[in-house]
Amino acid sequence: MPHQVALTLVAQVRPGQVESLQELLKTMGDGVANGSVVDLGALDGVHFARFIVLEEATDLRGEPLPASLLYLSDLDVSREHHLGQLVDQSGEGLDRLFEHCEGYPEERKRTRETRLDYLRRHRVKEQAFYVNTVGRTRHQIREEAELRDRLEDFLDGADHLRRQDPAEIRRSVLEHVEADRTLSRALSPPAGLDLGFRLRELGHLLVVALLVLVLLPLLLLAAPFFLVLLRRHERRDKAPHVKAPVEVVQELAALEDHVVQNPFTALGFVKPGLFRRLTLTGVLYAINYVTRHVFNRGNLAGVKTIHFARWVFLDDKRRVIFASNYDGSLESYMDDFIDKIAWGLNIVFSNGHGYPNARFLIADGCRDELAFKDYLRLHQVPTRVWYSAYDQLSCANIANNARIRAGLRGEPGRETTEQWVQAL
Amino acid sequence: MSAPELNDVQGLVARGYGNLPSAQFLLVGIDDGAAGRAWLGAVAGSLTTAERSPEGQAVNLALTSSGLAKLGLDAATVGLFSTEFADGMASAHQSRALGDIDENAPEHWAWGGPGTPEVDAVLLLYASDDPALARLEREQAGELGAGLRVLARLETSNLDGHEPFGFRDGISQPFVEGLSKKGPPETTLRFGEFVLGYPNEYGRYTDQPLLDAHPELARNGSYLVFRQLRQDVHGFWRFVDEASRNPDGSSDPVRRLRLAAKMVGRWPGGAPLVIAPDGDDPALAEANDFAYFQDDRHGTRCPIGSHIRRANPRDSLDPKPGTAQSWAINRRHRILRRGREYGEEELLRPDKALLVDAAISGERGLHFICLNGNISRQFEFVNDTWLNSPKFAGLYDDADPLVAPSSPHGGTFTVQSSSVRERVSEVPRFVSVRGGAYFFMPGLAATRSLARLGG
Repeated sequence: MPHQVALTLVAQVRPGQVESLQELLKTMGDGVANGSVVDLGALDGVHFARFIVLEEATDLRGEPLPASLLYLSDLDVSREHHLGQLVDQSGEGLDRLFEHCEGYPEERKRTRETRLDYLRRHRVKEQAFYVNTVGRTRHQIREEAELRDRLEDFLDGADHLRRQDPAEIRRSVLEHVEADRTLSRALSPPAGLDLGFRLRELGHLLVVALLVLVLLPLLLLAAPFFLVLLRRHERRDKAPHVKAPVEVVQELAALEDHVVQNPFTALGFVKPGLFRRLTLTGVLYAINYVTRHVFNRGNLAGVKTIHFARWVFLDDKRRVIFASNYDGSLESYMDDFIDKIAWGLNIVFSNGHGYPNARFLIADGCRDELAFKDYLRLHQVPTRVWYSAYDQLSCANIANNARIRAGLRGEPGRETTEQWVQAL
Repeated sequence: MSAPELNDVQGLVARGYGNLPSAQFLLVGIDDGAAGRAWLGAVAGSLTTAERSPEGQAVNLALTSSGLAKLGLDAATVGLFSTEFADGMASAHQSRALGDIDENAPEHWAWGGPGTPEVDAVLLLYASDDPALARLEREQAGELGAGLRVLARLETSNLDGHEPFGFRDGISQPFVEGLSKKGPPETTLRFGEFVLGYPNEYGRYTDQPLLDAHPELARNGSYLVFRQLRQDVHGFWRFVDEASRNPDGSSDPVRRLRLAAKMVGRWPGGAPLVIAPDGDDPALAEANDFAYFQDDRHGTRCPIGSHIRRANPRDSLDPKPGTAQSWAINRRHRILRRGREYGEEELLRPDKALLVDAAISGERGLHFICLNGNISRQFEFVNDTWLNSPKFAGLYDDADPLVAPSSPHGGTFTVQSSSVRERVSEVPRFVSVRGGAYFFMPGLAATRSLARLGG
């Protein structure tokens, strides 16, 4: 089974073309993609995807930054496979989007190869990537949702099972699954991650850990200097609480809460200077390490409602973009972060310009709740064209469905059987 | 913490005036700013404060964002108040968050929607009996001269502590630091959770930019949410009756009551299912000392999706249910409920509710009123993330069985058990919205400041 990969494309929009590009995006969705222009749902192994436009901006030194078109997706298939399919199935739609951008092949030169080449050249590497559960494919998620629905229907009709012993219930459910050829494939486990990938991951885990261990004396020696420098920067970068105007919130909110999940996209400037740039690079490297090796089983340090997330540097590390797919409302998402992993949020975002003041990189910051919420609204990018492959399933549902399937196998003891019956 | 200025905070923050069972709410439109300011100046003198329990009568007042604008407050200052308040309850996004869609959409509201006159203020009147209320109403309405209009007089009824479906209501309220009633730390909230100008549960000041720029307006104020909710009492009992019938098709009053209680989380008399899973118990009518994760982790007594369990999940929230951290998260999403019932004064028993319909027995419902410091994190969060979300606590398609606007196909309600769960499907909508608005209930000094605007 494949592991999940992220794809990020960034293309600079030609001067004067932003408005017509925005108009085109407006025809493609109103918070949820409608399948026109590019039908993301028709492509293999896409969990989530979005097209967004970053408007022209001026960086912190006063230099202009051109507008850009971004495409982000979370995939079961390789990037090559996905790009090939995009070109093959939605070449015309891609043309309509990317012809607003610098360097896109002119009409008479557009072939499969020139388009593919363009897309490949505009790929940007993610700095960090979070997958709720590494190895769980879109196919598995959908198949297990179907299994659960069918079992619930079976139980609705199974009056004879009421008040039965959990072991008896399980026996009866198993019989039902075994007798139905369309369900019985659920009796075998989902394909695991392939051995090559697991070995590579293990290698990465160990090599980096070893490196850190070797460098530890140096790091410890450097730590006091780092902290002094950090505090000097933090005392200097005071950010006032700026309230997000009602119209800004309205425009963003209009695109939210159409299905049970939402996309979040935010863009910010990295605070000027080498110190912040290096700190953020290091922090994102560390985050990627722990999301790869620790938080890869349904839980990002206490937050269980995120399906996928990524951090990507733009414009030579002057800006950073954060994009995620999460369950529920933005209010609950923000509260989750503040209540559960404030430190994790601060360690990244306090390197961003305008973020509420943090101490020692991890304290305070987003604990100034409303200053943080206003900051997020002011840095959020409207996400009009967003695709979800399972927009009625929460992370908790997906995990529970997997638990139901797993419980069909083996010879569980009494307590495990009881818990399994509770999951139904 | 500095002691709350209870003599400047309006009284509804401190108490629901249980000793004043007669109440009426006047919705007021301001046509003329000067007249509005003059009225505010006059009414400020009769506002009841939080300092002590009033005897005989009470008067409180709150304003919408349109009301503030008509009194002469500039748009930039109105914009410093909370976004939800400035934007109003009937805006598109709020409608999605609150489930005000289809028949519940603001277009259909009797007041507060786009098709009805703009509500600028609400005057909340309380008295010890109906004649006293009538006197108070005459007196207060007399102050509403030219340039002001009473858009509606919302009457209330007294169901002796019950809501119209027939269940004892208003039992679980948070305790508030600085007020007289003391409770356990798990359910005691900072004063700033409800009133601007004091530290909230994060140790911060809600609406800091507003407090910085206009402390004279913000300090001691609270946001008041008002929703007129019609309750389909007949529809509720008919649905529960159908869903609990015997195999031979006959009604089963015992199972019927049990299912209704499972949906609510308490028996009609108030006894909580977590403590009294098998039947009502008058001795437990006010019982509120229980927790879900600790006492009923899997919902086999009180279903995970029941109304009271999701309106206030207590110790059951992630990431560490059953701990102080879970309670702390819960404390950031509480409201002070101050609603009153309306409609027929007689409480409908289930067997009677099954016989007649609303055309005969009249409309019943709740003037839902609550106070909070942050509408988005408190009132709206409770509605959106806990009550209306079909995904609450790992559920699949179970919105609140009692109060949520059901999904187009009708949601499900799952009754957990140690054996096979019971799943009730196609739960319809029993509560519909007749009107509503977000108000700001200013402190007394702030009310006087507003009365002096432009002067």
